[in-house]
Amino acid sequence: MIIGGWITLLSPLAGALVITLAGTRIGRRTAGYIATASTMIAFVAAVVAFVVALGKSPDARSQLSTAYTWIAAGSYQSGFSILIDQLSILMMLIVTGVGSLIIAYSLGYMEGEDEERRYFAYMALFVFSMLLLVEGGNLILLLAGWGMVGLSSYLLIGFYHQRASAVAAAKKAFVMNAVGDATMAVALFLLIKYTGSLSYAALGQVPASNRWVVNLVALGLLGGAVAKSAQLPLQTWLPDAMEGPTPVSALIHAATMVTAGVYLIVRCHVAFQAAPHVQDLAAVLGTVTLVLAGLIALVQVDIKRVIAYSTMSQIGYMFLAAGIGAYADSMFHLMTHAFFKATLFLAAGLLIHALGGEQDLRKMGGLRKLMPFTFLAFLAGSLALAGIPPFSGFFSKDPIIASALARGGALGDVLWVAALAGAFLTGVYAFRLVFRVFLGEPSAFVREHLHTGHGEGPLSMRWTVGVLAVLATVAGFLQFPPFWTPVSNWLEPVAPPLVDPTNPQELTTLVIGVALGLAGIAVAWLLYGSHRYAVPRPRALLERKFYFDELYDAAFYRPATWVAASLRRFVEEPVVDGSIAEVAAGTRGVARWTGLLQTGLLRTYVLAIAASLAVLLVVFVAVR
Amino acid sequence: MGGVEPVSGPNVAWYLALAAFLFATGMLGVLLRRSPLIVLLSLELMLNGANLALIAFSRQHGRLDGQVFALAVMAVAASEVVVGLGLIVAMARKKLTLDVDKLSTLRG
Amino acid sequence: MGNFLVWVVWVVAAFSCLGSGIAVISFANPFYSALALIGNLASLAVLYLLLAAEFVAAAQVLVYAGAVMVMFLFVIAYLGGQADAPWAGGPSVQSVAAIAAAAALLVEVIVVIGLAAGGDLSTAAQIPSSFGSPAAIGQAFLTDHLLAFELTSVVLLVAAVGGVILGHHARSGTTWGASSR
Repeated sequence: MIIGGWITLLSPLAGALVITLAGTRIGRRTAGYIATASTMIAFVAAVVAFVVALGKSPDARSQLSTAYTWIAAGSYQSGFSILIDQLSILMMLIVTGVGSLIIAYSLGYMEGEDEERRYFAYMALFVFSMLLLVEGGNLILLLAGWGMVGLSSYLLIGFYHQRASAVAAAKKAFVMNAVGDATMAVALFLLIKYTGSLSYAALGQVPASNRWVVNLVALGLLGGAVAKSAQLPLQTWLPDAMEGPTPVSALIHAATMVTAGVYLIVRCHVAFQAAPHVQDLAAVLGTVTLVLAGLIALVQVDIKRVIAYSTMSQIGYMFLAAGIGAYADSMFHLMTHAFFKATLFLAAGLLIHALGGEQDLRKMGGLRKLMPFTFLAFLAGSLALAGIPPFSGFFSKDPIIASALARGGALGDVLWVAALAGAFLTGVYAFRLVFRVFLGEPSAFVREHLHTGHGEGPLSMRWTVGVLAVLATVAGFLQFPPFWTPVSNWLEPVAPPLVDPTNPQELTTLVIGVALGLAGIAVAWLLYGSHRYAVPRPRALLERKFYFDELYDAAFYRPATWVAASLRRFVEEPVVDGSIAEVAAGTRGVARWTGLLQTGLLRTYVLAIAASLAVLLVVFVAVR
Repeated sequence: MGGVEPVSGPNVAWYLALAAFLFATGMLGVLLRRSPLIVLLSLELMLNGANLALIAFSRQHGRLDGQVFALAVMAVAASEVVVGLGLIVAMARKKLTLDVDKLSTLRG
Repeated sequence: MGNFLVWVVWVVAAFSCLGSGIAVISFANPFYSALALIGNLASLAVLYLLLAAEFVAAAQVLVYAGAVMVMFLFVIAYLGGQADAPWAGGPSVQSVAAIAAAAALLVEVIVVIGLAAGGDLSTAAQIPSSFGSPAAIGQAFLTDHLLAFELTSVVLLVAAVGGVILGHHARSGTTWGASSR
């Protein structure tokens, strides 16, 4: 199990190193094969670890393996260790499984790109970083993986570095993630101060009487999670991150990196449970984001952005679950979401590829007959997204909503209603996309630009989408509370849930959830499919994404640039530059002055010698 | 005319005073005169003053080191005069004015 | 009686020393200055004899007065008696400062030596009769001060070479870097 864990971690790193060091000596496709192979090896190793763990008893499935003592400073010590337990094995399987499929897809999508090798190196680096994050045996390795994942995201969003918009989006993502990193760092500092260690066990060792510290630690961790998972209030970077290539959006900004926040909460649930208000805050933030993102997705015209906002919304569900204490539900939804979101993104990639790079859905239409395979995959993903049985989303989303009800209290009921509203919105925006793009007659643009000469796309793209679509369809059957719950049973030793919905609660929620989902699809059909009703004009509020970008611009960006400009005018130029100029001028002055001593006359020099001799004689005598 | 008894005539202090005077006079010459030849001659005067002091002390202590030193100084003075005069002759050949005040191209 | 004689000799020699010294720096014509210096050297030789330094006195007359000053006179003869007017014009800053520095130095040296040596100066050590003889000097040079001896010979060699180079006539247009105005 441990060996599997180490191989999983190090294989993508080896892949990235090989591609980087080999440089232009290997072909572009070879780089792609190396990346794919390294992640597939990692997946195989993860499966081996999983199988071995299955063979052990539930208590013996958690193992910490330390390679060497990495940091030893005074009484503090950290090892370079990996923790293989039920939670990390689940994440490893998802990351390497979906990751290797998406990297294989990239072989076809990124073919012909000039800088293909760089892309595959970055992708392998990303997979390694994500694995470090989930396998890290203590908080400091988690933080290391956290930071590296942010770096890989920055590198890959800005992959098309000639585009100014891509570079700006990369910077935006990195800066907002840095805010989260800062709050996490504060939490870790507090942990070191009050417990002297950064192992996962330390999370429970902060004295409960110290309310401030307990709350701050949880808040700091939540800050990091919110930034990484693009929840309110740090959500504005995710739609812009769509500037990266589509496989990047699928892997990083749907299936794995953005779910790291959820993983963090589940892994550190002890800290959150000690600070219940912060945990409630997580649930509230998740729910608000869920609804907000759903509303914004209704008016987006770029297909990738619609899917991005849906990601934001679904992660809201995961945050809701984690905030309430239904950890297993949250992780299960993470898994099914990875499948159907990746399906959606990669199918969208097929579309974009076939239309020569076009992403505006207003220009598309009637692609059902022209690209049937893509249509089927997209449909499977959207049905899963909307939570329609028997697709996977149904099995994972409704238990989350039910646990909100089970939590009880006014908060639980409000969250329940909001989550159900979100389910309705999901149906609407998901099928708005499907009907606009695929139904009807092929639009003029499509007739001109569609080229499906060699089938709908290269083979590498099609088989991976196929696999993911199948997973999106059937993976849900893995867990169906309250009837069979292997996932919850698997995760229970590591993250025992705080709530347990009763059967009536579950079934009620199930029925209402599916009904709302179908209602949403119906509304979308009426507005976009059958053209029987006019499309309402979207209000400015939704189109401007609730003015968050403008708010942050005014609140943070402008003051920051103002401060920077003032510092330059009042500090940098006069003091820093000025002082250097002063020093130079001063030196020149002194030099000119001393130059006056150089009269060139022999007699002056001799006089100087004689005079100083006279003086020195006195000095020597006096001093003696 | 030394002899085996302590020095007859003035004691060593008088010689030293004379040596100091010679030195000071030579220094005045170096500082005040403009012809390089005279400057060299004054330099010789200074060296001779130093020599006198050396010999006086040598007599006072009863050791020969001072006299040896004085002979070395004489040898060095001779070498210095050779080089100095060579310079002056070279300057004269180049038709330069022999005035140390006029030779100031190394001014800063 | 002997002591009195020594005193007389000393006084004469000292005064001629001082006088010729002042003469060296005062004459306008370098030729006269050189002759004054020769007189100075002769008086010094007498003083050396009074101080039991026979060999040094002889060397002074032979080398200094005999060789070095002759060379000086040759050069002065070659150059002509280029005179400058040393005492023309009023006292300049340079001259005042120079006199002040020289006076200060004189006073200081006397004071320092007076302070340092003090009473010791009135008594001198007993010396053997061979003190200052060529044999004794030769012995000192070749045993205690061999290094100084050798180095001095090197210095003389270097000076000789330097003299030759300086006197070298520029042929085929190569100059030795002397500035020409």
